[in-house]
Amino acid sequence: MKPFTYQRPTSVDDACQQLGPSRVAYGGGTDLLPRIKAGLAAPSQLVDLKHTGLPDRIVDHGHCTQLGALTTLAAIERDTGLADRLSALPAAARQAATPQIRNRATIAGNLVQRPRCWYYRSEETDCWLKGGTGCPAREGRNEHHAIFDRDRPCVAVHPSDLAGVLVALDAIVHLHSNRGHRTMPIGELYTAPTDEHRAETTVRPDEFITEIEIVTRRPVVSSYRKAMDRAAWAFALVGVAVVATFDDDRLDDVRIVATGVANTPRRLTASEEILLADGVDERSIERAATAATVGSEPLSHNRYKQQLLTALTRDAMIEVTDRR
Amino acid sequence: MLREAGRPRVDAVAKVTGRARYAADVHVAGQLEAGLLRSRRPHATVRSIDVAAARRLPGVHAVLTAAELGEMSWYDGQSSMLTDVARFTGDELAVVAAESHAIVDEALALLHVDDEPLGHVTDPFAALDPDAPLVHDGEQSNQLGDTDRYQRGDVDAALAVADVTVTATYTTPAQIHHALESHGAMAMWDGQMLTAYVSTQSIHDVRDGLAEALHLPVSRVRVITEHMGGGFGAKQVVWKPTVLAAVLATRTGRPVRLLLDRHGEALAAGHRNATRQTVRLGADADGRLVAIDADLLVGAGAYTVGGESSAVEGPYQYLYRCANVRTAKATVRTNHGPAVAFRAPGYVEGTFALESAIDELAVALAIDPIELRRRNLTNVDQVDDKPLSSPDALATCLRRAAETFGWDDGGDSDSDSDTDPGDNDAAARRRRGRGFAAHDWVGGKSHPPAFAHVALTPDGSVQVVTGTQDIGTGTRTVLAAVAADALGIDVERITVALGDTAHGLHAPVSAGSSTVPTMAPAVHAAAVEAHDALLDAAAEHLGVGVADVKWTGTTFHHPDGTAAELVDVLAAIEPRRIIGFGRAEDASADVSVRTFGAVCAEVVVDVDTGEITVVRVVCAPDCGRLINSLLAESQVIGGVTQGLGFALSEHEVIDHRLGIVLNANLEDYLVPTMADRCEIVHAAVNRPDEAANSLGNKGLGELPMIAVAPAIANAIYDAVGLRIRDLPITRRRLLDAVAAGATP
Repeated sequence: MKPFTYQRPTSVDDACQQLGPSRVAYGGGTDLLPRIKAGLAAPSQLVDLKHTGLPDRIVDHGHCTQLGALTTLAAIERDTGLADRLSALPAAARQAATPQIRNRATIAGNLVQRPRCWYYRSEETDCWLKGGTGCPAREGRNEHHAIFDRDRPCVAVHPSDLAGVLVALDAIVHLHSNRGHRTMPIGELYTAPTDEHRAETTVRPDEFITEIEIVTRRPVVSSYRKAMDRAAWAFALVGVAVVATFDDDRLDDVRIVATGVANTPRRLTASEEILLADGVDERSIERAATAATVGSEPLSHNRYKQQLLTALTRDAMIEVTDRR
Repeated sequence: MLREAGRPRVDAVAKVTGRARYAADVHVAGQLEAGLLRSRRPHATVRSIDVAAARRLPGVHAVLTAAELGEMSWYDGQSSMLTDVARFTGDELAVVAAESHAIVDEALALLHVDDEPLGHVTDPFAALDPDAPLVHDGEQSNQLGDTDRYQRGDVDAALAVADVTVTATYTTPAQIHHALESHGAMAMWDGQMLTAYVSTQSIHDVRDGLAEALHLPVSRVRVITEHMGGGFGAKQVVWKPTVLAAVLATRTGRPVRLLLDRHGEALAAGHRNATRQTVRLGADADGRLVAIDADLLVGAGAYTVGGESSAVEGPYQYLYRCANVRTAKATVRTNHGPAVAFRAPGYVEGTFALESAIDELAVALAIDPIELRRRNLTNVDQVDDKPLSSPDALATCLRRAAETFGWDDGGDSDSDSDTDPGDNDAAARRRRGRGFAAHDWVGGKSHPPAFAHVALTPDGSVQVVTGTQDIGTGTRTVLAAVAADALGIDVERITVALGDTAHGLHAPVSAGSSTVPTMAPAVHAAAVEAHDALLDAAAEHLGVGVADVKWTGTTFHHPDGTAAELVDVLAAIEPRRIIGFGRAEDASADVSVRTFGAVCAEVVVDVDTGEITVVRVVCAPDCGRLINSLLAESQVIGGVTQGLGFALSEHEVIDHRLGIVLNANLEDYLVPTMADRCEIVHAAVNRPDEAANSLGNKGLGELPMIAVAPAIANAIYDAVGLRIRDLPITRRRLLDAVAAGATP
């Protein structure tokens, strides 16, 4: 760990002045600090955003819900309004990490955390994502890795449970920097890493998330299903988020997003199309669940993720159908 | 059971309030912190380590490499304390002592290692391949010594005529102890005396080891372990960090603390051996075993540390009555950290394979798995040809576990459920099953010599003094209860001194579930001696015969109505105190003392998601006479939980091409969490083993873990008809088996 300085700006504008390529935003620190300790990040300065007045709560405007950047996962987990309207969000928060981490971790930090790939995190190996040449996971121990887009230079998966739900909700991300404010659909926040940009998000070094906005024109029914190798405190082997709207009993719209299967949260459009075309009944759900793996190509140790993806897609769809 | 049978730990308040002092809690003025530089390669020759920049760093007091330390042989001569040939990723190359952890880390980062990679093998199942690189240059092969062979009867002939045979290969992974408190010590040197606060299961072995390594008289080394945050076998030998803390203390003249970080704890502080076991069983049509054949491969890592005692062959040789038994065990080296004893070493691994195979035999014979075992019980130690000290103990364990679980009623905790065991709809997705496994264990008996003093002091309080250590199991509480019972004095008046070599009384390592059967009779004998001397003194004080004195715990009464308080009796004698002395007992040489247990497990398996939910585990361990049922239950909960981890989630993930461990942390190495717990029931057996020692005590610590994994694997088979022979049974393994169509 290299020494760094600590800054505590008291306004968003001050924070913007202090951020830069090696001067990094610090929220809950539950991912940043372990990466610094492991030598994966060596910032010269931490810019603590927790005293800048950035929003830290959940605001319900009816059809629009705002999650402040500093909202903790614990707050999302416990929010009764979210439980009523957007239940997949508290469900995903509840299944993430541990109570101690959830008390500390912010939603913004959760969305931009780095992969948990054990080669990326290992002190003893090099890998493409941290600046090296090859991906040791591709031919190595890849049971936790991607089953889609295996030809990409990195086969790590994005670890956020909440990202999948927010992509399914088509949330809007608000970002701020010296150059001003910009917004984007959360789907565009995520990008597969490339040689020129070895990162999973499009957040710029001098930029930070201020807020996540969820617009629901009509009431939605949502679900998040997660498979882990123990009952708590594990990243998703596979996670599936479903957000659906119904017109009476008829499916009106549905978005299905899987995590743990690709570099970034992945929409299961083939499954969505089957359900939108054929409606929701036992047989169409089964076909949609089977279609979840269309285009997937497992690595040497992760064929089981196809079975999980199918099962969790089915379970999530059955849940939203039962609760419509 | 004793009067104090359900008493909470005497140190419970100290522990929950943080007042109990562990090695990591010791802070003294001027104390330095220390840290280790570890090899990042699985096998390499270190040409040089540039220490100049680290030495110049302000606050650094010592930087030692193999060159500066000088020859200090380690691992029984197989390597050195700091090595210039790294034989596993994590092997210790250098150590730094500095004013703070931050400076230590900074200095370690400045050490530049110039090394040359050598070929490596980390997979024990590949270590004997003809082209496998040698872990130790100059040895003939990677096999450690000769194959360990045992045979009785004629296995091949018996298998040839057996009505039913079962053949299968099982594997078990390297399991890491991951005790909450890591290995290490805080050491101080005053020019005369070395004092070390150590996290260890054996203060005396550490004392001897420190004296030898530092060329000091044993009498000038003092080792203290007031409390210990878990050992599970990994702390029964002297480890490098303890010795290096002492070396650094003598070299810098400052107190030095060296505790492993979690990474070092995972890589270089021991683990359960990985095994591959090929088992052949033969039985007659009635289910009587006629042959047991086991071909065993055990991965030892790069070095042996002593105290592995990985008797994987034990269960095959002892557990069931069988005239024809053959075991062959090859132990191999790999470029991996050394293995060390882990809670019933060898038996946990061996019992998984044997008890899975017995379950396969029960299926093949269509005999109830508990009934099959009943038909094969033995009352003799067939290896040493001696009667067992408690010949009906295993039968009792079987009965207690089955009754408590409700095995003969179907063993279903939820009879209205649509997932009844044995009544599974083959198309149902969530299926319920139950499984059984039995075990024996070589441990649980006394290991003399050990000694105890029990001293009644002038104010009537009692000090029990021993040289043992309380490794978290509740030894203080047990020994206080034993002394209280023998003295007839309230336990509140008793203080137990242990965990300090300065007390001068020897006791063995706390391992092999031996502490209670060793120390309880010693303390009991000392307390009885003190009690008898006290009554003599009281009789003399009262001027009556001893037989007429009635003792209430505070007062002595004479039938004529006269009475004397305890303190008055003590005040009347010189030197106002009474000391009793006791020693540990050996069991009779005519019997074989062993311990036993039985486990029933109930699971629900989801064949679509691979989710395995353990609903409940009933564990019936034979530990002789119970002393404290509350502590016994704690051991059962802890042991079963560790067994759940071994069965379902704990394993080292190694990239054999790179030779590195990928989950040397607590994030990817999955120990069970509170959310993974199930209902755990201690079906107490409480059968005194009078042939083991005069109190009928045997040890308990290791027993509850041994049969958990096979009981769960057998329950999974019962639920879904899939026989998973490789641990841990992760979602991946289960779903792969489902996909392979091995019959759901």
